[in-house]
Amino acid sequence: MAIKIEKSFQAPEPAADVWKILSDPRSVASCVPGAQVTEAVDEKTYRGVIKVKLGPTLTDYKGQAHIERLDDQNREIEIVGKGQDVRGKGSASMKMTGKVRELPAGGSEVITISELNVVGILAQMGNRMIQEVANQMFEQFTKNLRQRLQQQASGAVGSGPPEEVKPIDAGSVAVSAVRGLFKSKPKE
Amino acid sequence: MLAKTLPEIGGMGHPIKRKEDLRFIQGKGNYIDDVQLPGMIYGHMVRSPYAHARITAIRTEEAKKLPGVLAVITGEDLAKANLAWMPTLFHDKQMVLATGKVLFQSQEVAFVVAEDRYTAADAADLVEIDYEELPVLIDPHKSQDSDAPILREDREEKSNLIFHWEVGDRAATDQAMKSAPVTAKVNAFFPRCHPAPLETCGCVIDFNSATGKLTAWITSQAPHAHRTVFALVAGLPEQNIRVISPDIGGGFGNKVPVYPGYVCAAVAALTVGRPVKWIETRSENLQSTGFARDYHMEAELAADKEGRLKALRVKTLADHGAFNAAAQPTKFPAGLFSICTGSYDFSSAFCEVDGVYTNKAPGGIAYRCSFRVTEAAYLIERAMDVLAQELKLDPVELRRKNFIPPEKFPYSSPLGWSYDSGNYQGALDLALERIGYNDLRKEQAEKRERGELMGIGISSFTEIVGAGPSHTFDILGLKMFDSAELRVHPTGKAIMRMGTKSQGQGHETTYAQIVAQELGIPAADVAIEEGDTDTAPYGLGTYASRSTPTSGAAAALAARKVREKARKIAAHLLEVSEEDLEWEPGKFSVKGAPGKSKTIQEIAFAAYTNFPQGMEPGLEAVHYYDPPNLTFPFGTYIAVVDIDKGTGEVKVRRFVAVDDCGNIINPMIVEGQVHGGLTEGLAIAFMQEISYDESGNIQGGTFMDYLVPTAVETPHWETGHTCTPSPHHPFGAKGVGESPNVGSPAAFVNAVVDALSHLGVKHIDMPLSPWKIWQILKDKGVTQ
Repeated sequence: MAIKIEKSFQAPEPAADVWKILSDPRSVASCVPGAQVTEAVDEKTYRGVIKVKLGPTLTDYKGQAHIERLDDQNREIEIVGKGQDVRGKGSASMKMTGKVRELPAGGSEVITISELNVVGILAQMGNRMIQEVANQMFEQFTKNLRQRLQQQASGAVGSGPPEEVKPIDAGSVAVSAVRGLFKSKPKE
Repeated sequence: MLAKTLPEIGGMGHPIKRKEDLRFIQGKGNYIDDVQLPGMIYGHMVRSPYAHARITAIRTEEAKKLPGVLAVITGEDLAKANLAWMPTLFHDKQMVLATGKVLFQSQEVAFVVAEDRYTAADAADLVEIDYEELPVLIDPHKSQDSDAPILREDREEKSNLIFHWEVGDRAATDQAMKSAPVTAKVNAFFPRCHPAPLETCGCVIDFNSATGKLTAWITSQAPHAHRTVFALVAGLPEQNIRVISPDIGGGFGNKVPVYPGYVCAAVAALTVGRPVKWIETRSENLQSTGFARDYHMEAELAADKEGRLKALRVKTLADHGAFNAAAQPTKFPAGLFSICTGSYDFSSAFCEVDGVYTNKAPGGIAYRCSFRVTEAAYLIERAMDVLAQELKLDPVELRRKNFIPPEKFPYSSPLGWSYDSGNYQGALDLALERIGYNDLRKEQAEKRERGELMGIGISSFTEIVGAGPSHTFDILGLKMFDSAELRVHPTGKAIMRMGTKSQGQGHETTYAQIVAQELGIPAADVAIEEGDTDTAPYGLGTYASRSTPTSGAAAALAARKVREKARKIAAHLLEVSEEDLEWEPGKFSVKGAPGKSKTIQEIAFAAYTNFPQGMEPGLEAVHYYDPPNLTFPFGTYIAVVDIDKGTGEVKVRRFVAVDDCGNIINPMIVEGQVHGGLTEGLAIAFMQEISYDESGNIQGGTFMDYLVPTAVETPHWETGHTCTPSPHHPFGAKGVGESPNVGSPAAFVNAVVDALSHLGVKHIDMPLSPWKIWQILKDKGVTQ
């Protein structure tokens, strides 16, 4: 099941600060709910895990991510990742392009385009459900990234052991999917 | 019509209430999951998340460590006993548990056995399997491409083509197509759907090591055939295998095949030494057991300018999934699909079918359908409407012009069938009258003026059921006869055992009515037993509307044998010669002396207490019935629909179903069958599809996505009958269970296309979801 997800958000911090986090896979992973980098294979390839809980299904993806392109000049990154559930529930692969740009009025904007392919039990939930999981994950990611930016500003980043991996609990996905149906659309 | 017995006898034609319902409505049925044995343990299946992947490792240690887990069986374990593969019912084999690679999502990979169901399910989660994903083949149209992955490495032929089958006269049909002034073509896909019976599949297997007897309670529509398959696959002596089909909560073809769960449960029972229960979950049933249809069909009709049909050419691609697990007669790779000339008189026809493998669940079972007749009926009835549109003829007129006329029966079709009897015009006329066709057409014209969308759809289908004559019909070599064994007790009550197996059809009532009709023993006094291979006579089971045409016939003929013996006893009791007796249901009387008679009950008592010297005591008979031909029920269905322009939602305003199934045993049960089949047809036409995404993920593997109609979605059904008895069946019956599912999809689709035909719409593939219709309305500029 292939899904393309385009997201963007704005941050008050300057583009350079945001890029510092976004260009470092370990920092990115620490913002992705349920994700953890376990090993750096080389400077562009990392192994890690990501846990996703959807209702009663806990999927435990284990795999690796590779930085295909890192463009400091234009602040663009392209990451290709692939993981398999350790208990054989399926796999997921993703190609993510991230971009940070300076906003004319100060602050910055992060734009991400992700092409996600999910195979297995999760994919049977249908793309509406997967889309909603992705939405929640991205929302959480944004929140974590902002927090990290603030921590970076206050100099509290970089020390201490990596946190325990907590899966994103997408148990309330159905509720938000239904809510989404009733959201009023912007008038044309 | 048959002479009607008194209501207290309750022979054929009486709408007596179903005997079996007494226990069903009180919750006292006995289904597989009700079977409890001392020391029973439970199995749970581990399934593949991938549609196509190589298995590189299976680790069972963690699962085995969980307290309560007794065994974890893998394909490698089964391979040691030569049980990793088993034969399908159709010239193929399938994996019981995957070895090497998996070929469809949800395929069986390992079987966990534990003290209770919950532990088994938890332990299944702990089985770790490493897969290496392989390229998937989902679109059957790509199965023959040079870059298509070859799915079945176990086969000698390195190809995804299972079979190519053709029937009819290709040259004559091509010629007729070329020279015809008018042709019409339709590409119609009959989507993959699933019978989704209320009760999923399951079994309880018990092996008694002292006696060596294996007893298997299985949700089986064909218990005898299953026993023979078990004997052949497991190498057990057949007298030591007892298959019991208890009450079954719907089958519809889904419970004909042998499934890996049954085999695994048997292996587990033998290895652990305790009885094993395995019950599918709803998703497992939808995702891995026998699906139906999945036919990509193309039909071309040739006609003259007046609309008289000349030829039919059909080309079909059949998606069978990973294994050809179709359950159908051995000599017919596409089942009875060659009934696709339908109710019409063609001079030439040609039909070819390619069957292919894809990375989908195996099957191709006959879902409330006599082996692909549903696909055939849908195709020809859809094509007729496309031709009518082409010719600007009323679809009723086009049908009238081309029906096989009543005087042409028995009719030899260009694709090789001999239709027993029919009066297609009669059924059409009655349906038109009931629905008020002319007024509806007027209303439609007015509504079109106002921009409202209303459609009328007609389907004048022919069935082909009652498989079948032994010269052409067998499954795995077993000829498709069926049987009845009737024993009349001294007090005049009786028991009859059958080779078939009811799954809700009401056999306990209808078979008893046949005996009542033939012997005059009240239907209430005749017990019917089915489903226990230790007691019932051998038979091929219940599917393809075959129970009444085969076992029903056997019941009548067994009863007639009993009657002939009863005549001898009556002559002895009345001290007259047999020729001096006359029969009326329930008694023999001396001709010309009506007061001098013996009832069947008196005769039965004498059969045990006062029989003639030299006569074999007792009163019983057995009959194995080998039908001389199939039966051909038919009918006309008319649907009237209104379409909401804003939402694309289709409302079935009215539906008239006129069926002709020959002589009727129980009109109430027939009506129930028609209601049920129409409701399933409605679901197929509007709601249901098991589709796959490009990676082979099942879309429609739960009731969240695979919709089942409730009373809210189901319209009011209006039913009617004409009666054209089968000339070769002992009491002129034809079978009815499947007609409504066979005939209705075309009526629904024809109605919706008719509502949109003025916009240039010629065909829409099922399911006709509001989303699909709304998109068409948007395309055509009817809605915003």
